Amino acid sequence: MRILAIDTSCDETAAAVTDNTKILSNIIWSQASLHAKFGGVMPSLAQRMHEERIDWVIERAINNSQLTINNLDAIAVTVGPGLSIALGVGIDRAKKLAIKYNKKLIAVNHLEGHVLSPFANCEYLVSSIKYPALGLVVSGGNTVLVRINKIGSYETLAQTEDDALGEALDKTARVLGLGYPGGAILEKMTKMGDSKKYTLPIPIVGQEERRMFTYSGLKTAMNKLVESEKPLTQEKIYDLAACFQDAAFTHLVRIVRFILTNDFPQKPSTLLVGGGVAANVQLRDRLRKLGKEFGISVYFPYAQKLTGDNAAMIGIAAYFKAQREEFTDANKVDRNPRLKLQIYYENPVWGIQSQVPPCFSLHCCPKQ
Amino acid sequence: MVYPTETLYGIGAGATNSEAVKKLTEYKNRPFGKPYSIAVTGQKMAEEFVELNETAKNLYKEFLPGPLTIVSRGKHKVATGVESENGTLGIRVPDYKLVINIVKKLGKPVTATSANASYKKRPYKISDILDNISDRQKDLIDLIIDAGELPHNEPSTVIDTTLDDPVTLRQGEIKLTDKNEVLSRSEEATQNLAKELWQKYEIHKGKRAIIFALQGEMGTGKTIFTKGLAHAMGITELVTSPTYTLENRYSIPDTRDSLYHIDTWRMENAEELKALGFEDLIKGKSVVAIEWAERVADIIREFDDEAIIVWVKIEFGKGKNERKISWGVTQ
Repeated sequence: MRILAIDTSCDETAAAVTDNTKILSNIIWSQASLHAKFGGVMPSLAQRMHEERIDWVIERAINNSQLTINNLDAIAVTVGPGLSIALGVGIDRAKKLAIKYNKKLIAVNHLEGHVLSPFANCEYLVSSIKYPALGLVVSGGNTVLVRINKIGSYETLAQTEDDALGEALDKTARVLGLGYPGGAILEKMTKMGDSKKYTLPIPIVGQEERRMFTYSGLKTAMNKLVESEKPLTQEKIYDLAACFQDAAFTHLVRIVRFILTNDFPQKPSTLLVGGGVAANVQLRDRLRKLGKEFGISVYFPYAQKLTGDNAAMIGIAAYFKAQREEFTDANKVDRNPRLKLQIYYENPVWGIQSQVPPCFSLHCCPKQ
Repeated sequence: MVYPTETLYGIGAGATNSEAVKKLTEYKNRPFGKPYSIAVTGQKMAEEFVELNETAKNLYKEFLPGPLTIVSRGKHKVATGVESENGTLGIRVPDYKLVINIVKKLGKPVTATSANASYKKRPYKISDILDNISDRQKDLIDLIIDAGELPHNEPSTVIDTTLDDPVTLRQGEIKLTDKNEVLSRSEEATQNLAKELWQKYEIHKGKRAIIFALQGEMGTGKTIFTKGLAHAMGITELVTSPTYTLENRYSIPDTRDSLYHIDTWRMENAEELKALGFEDLIKGKSVVAIEWAERVADIIREFDDEAIIVWVKIEFGKGKNERKISWGVTQ
């Protein structure tokens, strides 16, 4: 099934063409992808920039796929979570294209895209995965661990109480004078640093039963440590970066381990990891080690481009929704900036509502 | 000119030469508005083209020359299209003698963008470039310096230092009718204070917008304070940092109102707050909590008449968990 997918959930303007779980094209216009091109930095905000870029990005995605829009079976678009005005741009385009070319429209949860991103170009995983499985999204905007009962049915097991992991890394990079966004450069620095040089408190050690991620306390401790170490030399920056990343990952792994130990009488077969921080090599190593400990296979997206925000993952999530016939009326599709990743209702009649069951709308969100 | 660097093959055009830059844009087949970084010989030359702030200077000192592109405010001394739309410019000091010598000899910076056309393979050898471009693009190249296959290093990392430019902090001008101060010794105490403040100003809800303008360094607990506000309003949804999405909205139970939680930390300038629809929030008599309010103080103050503005400042205290919290409303 060939799908044109669009994602404008935050900073990145992205479009892709996918065929089932195979990627035919994947275009991202972002600051992050400019890192790969010696480029500069684009203005961060959102609506006007998306408006200016979106048509070019969509056209490029279709051209690079060697298809025409008439050959496509459906159009998919991210409806949340994300920045409201940014989401609106992608939804508006998707809607117009769906109506103009008479294509089916699929509304996708951005987080589900991240969870399913390891399926991209990985036939083997698609055909062999057993449920329940675990999904972990670690990005600049989200840090959430979910139980995957099956594709399309998720339960949140732990999520961040304050900052997302990627955000904590970015902010720390900035405290170290490494600019923004600095998560990627922080990782480079950690390779040259000694993670035992300083002691930082691991968040909620001994209280893992709270089943949550939290980075604000660690961030504050880091601020104080950096202040006390000023003036910073290259070597200090390396060591501080290494210590912070080590503490942040240790916390993440401890929580996942606790949940694996206590909440899964039947061990999950697989851990799927997506989101920008999934590109971090040290995090990959630690999660693989954890997987070994529990006999779980750990999968990451096959390319770095699929870890950050992108539309190919939206196309993949949309493919599974299409199989369940969860299409949305193009005249009724709307954004949901605080959309959660939860159990989806399987009744396709609801269209977009199948993702946002009535009891989970903006107006009455039960505590999770 | 195609030239080798410590990362990839780059393509250089005189960065101050409009014609050369035009040719480059044609070669790269780039869409509108994508800026180019430039290669210079060192900090001294960089300072002819950009304003270096403290962060930038420190980075230059510790990490250049090396595979970093450091973005600063441009001085508009390069050809059109090299700086970004909002006037920032990326600087490279390559750790590669040949490039430094070329720039030195030329006396002017050259563009430091990778030699591939947009969205094509990373060029580690000349054939990576030539195999992926059209004859017309080939005609645009005047010189190729072939250093064989380069080690497959990652492209340079871009660091934006402009977010650290000093903000126009006009706290002195904000006249408060009353100034209150307490010492909080825990997150709970901070949340309780937020609750008290909400109860104090809640009477204005629905009549005027209520803005909690939160100031304080990273890690002082601005999000914690907002959690307290949300609890006080009966919001049970988990309140998390809005840094990434810029704005989070929480419905206040049993009302048609919402709490808008905004973070200006990633915004490049105060205008971006307006682009988020801030004015509509005020007109809609919403409740708004803004983190890093000092960055957008001028815009917030435009609404002195329409909104109750509660300025809250959180500072680190002496003890580990201590915070000095002061607040007051604008006259």
